[in-house]
Amino acid sequence: MKLSAGMHLVPLAFKQLVRHRIRTLLTVAGIAAGMFLFTLVESMQHAVSGATEIRASDQTLVVYRENRYCPSTSRLPIYYEDEIRRIPGVREVIPIQITVNNCGASLDVITFRGVPPEQLARYAPEIRIIDGSRKDWEATDDGALIGENLALRRGLKPGDAFEAAGVRVRISGVLSSPNPQDNDVAYVHLPFLQQASRRGLGEVTQFNVRVEEGGDLGAVARAIDERFASAEEPTYTQPEKAFFAQAAQDLIELTGFTRWIGIGAVIAVVGLVANAVLLVVRTRIRENAVLQTLGYPDLAIAWLVMLEGLLLGLAGGIAGAGGAMTFLWLARISFGNEGQMLSLSPDPVLFAAGLGLALALGAFAALYPAWIAVRRPIVESLRT
Amino acid sequence: MNRQNDVLIRCHGVTKQYRKGNNLVTPLESLDLDVPRGDFLALMGPSGSGKTTLLNLLSGIDQPTSGSIEMDGVKVHALNRRELAAWRAHHVGYIFQLYHLVPVLTAFENVELPLLLDDMPRRERQERVEAALSLVGLSDRMHHFPRELSGGQEQRVAIARALVADPPLLVADEPTGDLDRQAADAILGLLHELANGQGKTIVMVTHDPKAAEAAARLLHLEKGRLLEAVS
Ligand SMILES: Nc1ncnc2c1ncn2[C@@H]1O[C@H](COP(=O)(O)OP(=O)(O)OP(=O)(O)O)[C@@H](O)[C@H]1O
Ligand SMILES: [Mg+2]
Repeated sequence: MKLSAGMHLVPLAFKQLVRHRIRTLLTVAGIAAGMFLFTLVESMQHAVSGATEIRASDQTLVVYRENRYCPSTSRLPIYYEDEIRRIPGVREVIPIQITVNNCGASLDVITFRGVPPEQLARYAPEIRIIDGSRKDWEATDDGALIGENLALRRGLKPGDAFEAAGVRVRISGVLSSPNPQDNDVAYVHLPFLQQASRRGLGEVTQFNVRVEEGGDLGAVARAIDERFASAEEPTYTQPEKAFFAQAAQDLIELTGFTRWIGIGAVIAVVGLVANAVLLVVRTRIRENAVLQTLGYPDLAIAWLVMLEGLLLGLAGGIAGAGGAMTFLWLARISFGNEGQMLSLSPDPVLFAAGLGLALALGAFAALYPAWIAVRRPIVESLRT
Repeated sequence: MNRQNDVLIRCHGVTKQYRKGNNLVTPLESLDLDVPRGDFLALMGPSGSGKTTLLNLLSGIDQPTSGSIEMDGVKVHALNRRELAAWRAHHVGYIFQLYHLVPVLTAFENVELPLLLDDMPRRERQERVEAALSLVGLSDRMHHFPRELSGGQEQRVAIARALVADPPLLVADEPTGDLDRQAADAILGLLHELANGQGKTIVMVTHDPKAAEAAARLLHLEKGRLLEAVS
């Protein structure tokens, strides 16, 4: 069978599907539901690994109070800032006060990061202001620059005021950053937050440290912790992602568990397609025998069956993975735990992966039915 | 055309056996048959005499247990499954008693089926399908589905489908068995025209004496053997 013949059979398989509309719709709906779940779960896994897997290009360390795990209990003197800056390999330090409206695991966490306003641009040059103005923020004591996910989630825009965790701010701008954590927080002035949250001016929650390009995160972290080892407030320094992995341990375990849902969805899709295609093959025994009589080789018959699996997978994949992307885009889900955010965002790579998997599952599920379709002698199939 | 070419099909010592549990059924035994090119041959015989079995062997959808079947010099009995399929596509058109059209395809799409395997430009495919449908008198029903056609019309579509790849041989298994007299006569007239006007060789199984009359030649099959021809 030539390749061109294989292509000519595509419309034939397509007609078989669209002209059995109800059956096809039901099957596609089932596949779509499975692929929707799968793609959501994958997005979650993807977000976790993006937030926790340390890459060579990572440059950020978080200095925390040793043995403290929640932002409300980690307290470090602000004067550590200058000492950290003097440690070799450190490019920039920013003291941060974290205030969270909910320290447990929650779907709607508001995290305030109090930073010295003049230092933000130097510390995080990758932040872009997509609405409002940075100047306005710098000039407004109770101004906030909020991440785009937070803005969408709460429907906030510059000029609005909002309150959480007893802190009332006015929004000066909306920011977008390649660093996913930034997109879910509200940056406010450090002194303002220290006062609003009734913490002393001399105390912060943590220091975020930017290491020199190509610098050794581990070495700098050790140097910092050694410097304060015998101080009254000893520190514990780790790469930002390791810090996240530790702080959001519960969250990660929970999302790890959801992997089973993804696997279940995949198995369900295979079963569904296999059942649908097998049924089709069984009801079409004689029809296929007629095609064989017309000169269709076994390969063409098997290919027709495979095509139905592939087309079902394609339709279900587009609907399911596409539906998941639309859902994520509309819902802007962020998980938070102890001030750490995990946000799920639509990602074309995940869409492609979901679609590709749906196609592969469709083809895989059609293998056995395809074999069933060609194994009987033609004359026997004609006699049924 | 030389004498050699005047015979399209040569069957020699053809035996077909099926195993049914522990029993061996022999629907055809040591059958010899020559079919000249352009012949319109009717096969009659009681139920179970092996008529369909013979058509299946002639059309290459089944293979003899022993003996040889040659068509146009091709040893059909020696072809493997894949070769047989390719051979069928261009050498035989099979017409069934119950038409066996694909229900979700229109008349046009049903007739197009045999051509999808060939590397043929769309345009040419369309012309050939239209020509075949016009030959059977159904140009005005091209885009109807089988359920929208009468039995006689369905059988015409099936005949167009058998014809469209232009095979030299048509086999028909009780093509009028499910039709009323009038529709049956029209189909028989069409087959007659295909043999005489288009030079097709036709082997037709029938129970209908009137159908047999339409044929040029009549053979009787009884218990797996051909009885003398009646003309
Ligand atoms: N695939 C098969 N397996 C087993 N036995 C078969 C098979 N095909 C045909 N037979 C047997 O071979 C014999 C001849 O069958 P065939 O279908 O050729 O008869 P027929 O002359 O076409 O009969 P009818 O007029 O009823 O259609 C029957 O006894 C049938 O049971
Ligand atoms: Mg029969």
